[in-house]
Amino acid sequence: MNDDADLPKADHADSSLTDPAAQGESVSRLDADTQPDEDPQLDAKGISRRQMLTRSVAVMGGAIAAGVGIPAIFYVAGPAAEDSGTAEWIRLGAASSVEPGTPTLMKANVERRSGYLTSTEELSVFVTTENGTSFEALSNVCSHLGCRVRWVDEQDGFFCPCHNAVFNADGTVASGPPPRPLDQFEVKVEESQIFIKGIA
Amino acid sequence: MSSKIGDWVNERSGWRNHYAAIFLRKIPKINWLYTLGSATLFTMTLQFATGILLTLYYVPEPTQAHASVDYITNELTFGWLIRGLHHWGSSAMVLLVILHMVRVIAYGAYKYPREATWFSGVALLLLTFSFGFTGYLLPWDQRAYWATVVGTRIGEVTPFVGGSLKSVMLGGEEISGLTLTRFYGAHVWILPAVLLVLVGIHMYLVIRNGITAVPKRNE
Ligand code: HEM
Ligand code: FES
Repeated sequence: MNDDADLPKADHADSSLTDPAAQGESVSRLDADTQPDEDPQLDAKGISRRQMLTRSVAVMGGAIAAGVGIPAIFYVAGPAAEDSGTAEWIRLGAASSVEPGTPTLMKANVERRSGYLTSTEELSVFVTTENGTSFEALSNVCSHLGCRVRWVDEQDGFFCPCHNAVFNADGTVASGPPPRPLDQFEVKVEESQIFIKGIA
Repeated sequence: MSSKIGDWVNERSGWRNHYAAIFLRKIPKINWLYTLGSATLFTMTLQFATGILLTLYYVPEPTQAHASVDYITNELTFGWLIRGLHHWGSSAMVLLVILHMVRVIAYGAYKYPREATWFSGVALLLLTFSFGFTGYLLPWDQRAYWATVVGTRIGEVTPFVGGSLKSVMLGGEEISGLTLTRFYGAHVWILPAVLLVLVGIHMYLVIRNGITAVPKRNE
């Protein structure tokens, strides 16, 4: 096979590029080259044996590709659908350690399961209280792109170093790009210990 | 394939010539036994697809290998299917490659000018076995372990080089985490790379020399 046969030569490039007949011709010439010598036998609908075979191969190939491909999508996406979040109450520590008026960073180790592996992860949560009896727990994960925020006393707010966001003490956005307040956990106090549950 | 897109691409790549050379080439009147090579090629493609998918979860590390295989088989959605296809596909491929070779022998298709096709085929046969041998260790269970013990001891009786052959295969004097990682590296990188090159050569030679006709008794 000569690769160059189809490439337009410089001097008649225009005609072969624009004249559909010229193109059609080159294609059918190629077909004529490779068609079996006998006349193609057409059935009632005018489909040749070659077309019929090409189509059946395409249909079977498509079926096999789908048979592997569709399960493969589920297989790849599988663990993403798994719930790795914690549905249990997590103990953070003594309620007395939370200073009224100042968000206090409390840590807890949580077990996280991903596939066949369980790992221990440290969870950091800002716990706030005004009166020492009712508590709120804010995630320290910035609601913009997930950097960790820290409490800055002088500014009376949470500061995110990544894109200079500031959150108020109650977690609402004071300035910067975050689209929503800091996430909140459910909180309960039992035997003067703080427990949280929810998003993680 | 005379669509507009096909034309557009053809004008810039001439792919129709190659398509015709590969798929529309003339062949003698042949029979179903001539499909065994293509069947091997198909199984190979399936092994590539499912094998690549398995690497998304498989971990070639002694404390995790078996747990990851177990997770794929018993917990992951369709993991049993992907692993099952790869597992049975490997046996099918060994079987098909042998049947294909038997057809080539029976029809004398290895003769001039197809000796090179035959030689590349011998390399492909050995490669197919190597895939099976290295892949067998990866589930890291008792069967895998002892099969590799036996397999490498067979290698050990090779004259002169047997001892070093075995330690190179094992990455030491006995099976360890190093054996697992090198079998894995061979199974997913070295062997596939060599296989692709050799299949390319094999297919080039098949197309270049044309396929043999069914031999006749009075020839
Ligand atoms: C990965 C393994 C292999 C693949 C994918 C493969 C593929 C193919 C294909 C598609 C053909 C076209 C004709 C046919 O299908 O019979 C062929 C022909 C051939 N193969 Fe293989 N093959 C493999 C292994 C082998 C082995 C192990 C041998 C022998 C040691 C071999 C020797 C040949 C020869 C001599 C031909 C030419 C036959 C003829 O012209 O009639 N191949 N191969
Ligand atoms: S990640 Fe916190 S401001 Fe962008």
